[in-house]
Amino acid sequence: MPEYVIDIDSLTKIYKTGKTELKALDNVTLKIRKKDFIAIMGPSGSGKSTLMNIIGCLDRPTSGTVIIDGENISSVNDNQLAVIRGRKIGFIFQKFNLIPTMNSVKNIALPMVFLGDTKANREQRATDLLDKVGLANWATHRPAELSGGQQQRIAIARALSNNPSIILADEPTGNLDSKTGEQIMQLLGSLNKEGKTILLVTHAVALKRYANRVVTMLDGKLSEER
Amino acid sequence: MIRDIFAMALDAMRSYRIRTLLTLIGVIMGVASVIMVTTAGNSVSGFISEQWNIFNPTGMVIGTGTGGAVPQLSVRSAVFTTNDVEKIQQLSAVKTVAPIGVVPLNKILKRDGLLKWESQPGEAMYASTPSLLEILNLQLAEGTMFEEGKNEVIISQNVAETFGEDKRLQVGDTIFLRRVDGVTLEAKIVGILEQSSTMSMFNTLSTPGIICPTKPYYSTYFGSNVGTIFKRVIAYTVLLAEAKDTNQVQDAQEQILRYLDSGGSDANQYKDQNTDFVVITQQYILVRVDQVMSVIRTYITAIALISLLIGGVGIANIMYATVTERTREIGTMMAIGAKRRDILLLFLFQSTVIGLFGGFIGCVFGASGSWFVVDLLNTNIQNLGGAFSTGTIQLTYALEWFIIAFIIGILIGIAAGLWPARKAASMDPVVALRYE
Repeated sequence: MPEYVIDIDSLTKIYKTGKTELKALDNVTLKIRKKDFIAIMGPSGSGKSTLMNIIGCLDRPTSGTVIIDGENISSVNDNQLAVIRGRKIGFIFQKFNLIPTMNSVKNIALPMVFLGDTKANREQRATDLLDKVGLANWATHRPAELSGGQQQRIAIARALSNNPSIILADEPTGNLDSKTGEQIMQLLGSLNKEGKTILLVTHAVALKRYANRVVTMLDGKLSEER
Repeated sequence: MIRDIFAMALDAMRSYRIRTLLTLIGVIMGVASVIMVTTAGNSVSGFISEQWNIFNPTGMVIGTGTGGAVPQLSVRSAVFTTNDVEKIQQLSAVKTVAPIGVVPLNKILKRDGLLKWESQPGEAMYASTPSLLEILNLQLAEGTMFEEGKNEVIISQNVAETFGEDKRLQVGDTIFLRRVDGVTLEAKIVGILEQSSTMSMFNTLSTPGIICPTKPYYSTYFGSNVGTIFKRVIAYTVLLAEAKDTNQVQDAQEQILRYLDSGGSDANQYKDQNTDFVVITQQYILVRVDQVMSVIRTYITAIALISLLIGGVGIANIMYATVTERTREIGTMMAIGAKRRDILLLFLFQSTVIGLFGGFIGCVFGASGSWFVVDLLNTNIQNLGGAFSTGTIQLTYALEWFIIAFIIGILIGIAAGLWPARKAASMDPVVALRYE
């Protein structure tokens, strides 16, 4: 078992648009242990989204090494990257990003579909997770019939469906009122206690208190706050 | 897993019901119109060849004109003599031959005491022999055949009603025939022909209005004479002949041409240097008609295929809009582990299913639509009257086109979906997730 679940060393990411180059990440080194609840703070354009995309295996580094749960993502192809995403990362988005045409159970089970799990397994696990996030009675409802808080709970259940080691939450309370946001953060906190590594990307200072570790991005550089 | 993605595709189509329906309609109409056009074409060409077949399939027309691969008949000059008719009759593959001398009439007159009726000008009379009826497959409805040398004629149903239905000409009536040279000849109607339901090489030739014996009507007509002042001979414009059986049609044609082109035939002596002898068989006409029909059918089928193509453009259009609209969904699916192939299949399945269902429903609609089209054509034919009115078009499905249209429907579904699906699959998940 490696010491770090996320091991980033000298990561640089440069975006090229025409002739102009934008250094979104500048020599970032970040090592995250299992069971860390880490908040990545920073203003818009600071590079925190880029960092999250690379940790989430949606993007590849320009240089440096990124090892996610033992897998070096710099040297894998698109398909392998998709499999790593599916197995090791659970995404939670600000706008929930549920599939509007699918009911709760189908939304939760979707990541298992892409990994080729059987239907019986998928439905069993999705029902269990629905229960875990406290929405057992909402199995056949579509996202449009659910409140924002309920949608985000479904999204959290979906993020857990392949039992990933890392949960990536990108402004998970951004579209929720403060009370609901609080409930969502508590749910993430309890997942952390169960052993999930949580990465919270936010610029809401109030959320810092849920994290045991806070890093700040500014102009592509990372600094440790605590 | 592919089955699950297929189920997701069906789910998505169910969710976007109207959109799915509209794309389906595009394909359905395309496939159905291909089937309707090809089936109608099949049925009509079946009908036409059946109509032609009623006329003697061993029949042929002998005349002068231009020979070659596509022979042209002109009925301008009278060159065939009675001697020629007798010689052709003796050829081994020929069953019967009958001459036709054209006697143009100015009008037909009828007197009853002081009353007098005149027909419209333009009726043509054919001077021939009794064997003409056999060759043309005509029957007498009433009366008998004329006798050569007597002032007797037989007339068609149409001519019988030339003065109106209430003043119908009867067997035994006497009429006066005014030829274009001004000579008026008396004629006794001895027979009336059955209404003919045939279509043949020449409508006027196969459905003559008045048939008369050569003497006295044709022999005294100025257009009938050839030869020198010292030796005048009666000659006919065309001959109609019949081969012994369908296998000997070509033999008969060759024998007749060989005889006519030889020095021994009178016609060869009288015909214009620049013209050829031409023998056009009913079989040849059938082949030509079939060729024309198939050209027309190909043309209409091509148009129908374009409508199928437009259905495909409809699919592509809507799929493209759908892919754009669902960009963030695509990004989300990629984020939670979907491979590019999964996204490609998700959209490709949708367009394929539309092609498949559209093709299937289009076949059903095409089959029932064809029935209506043929029914409509039949109604129109009945209304047209005349020679056609006795036949009906039989619905003859172009089965191969069901399969072709169905397969093209599916292929178009796949082809139309491929481009939008590839666009979806090649999205950068980071960009797709940011899409508003």
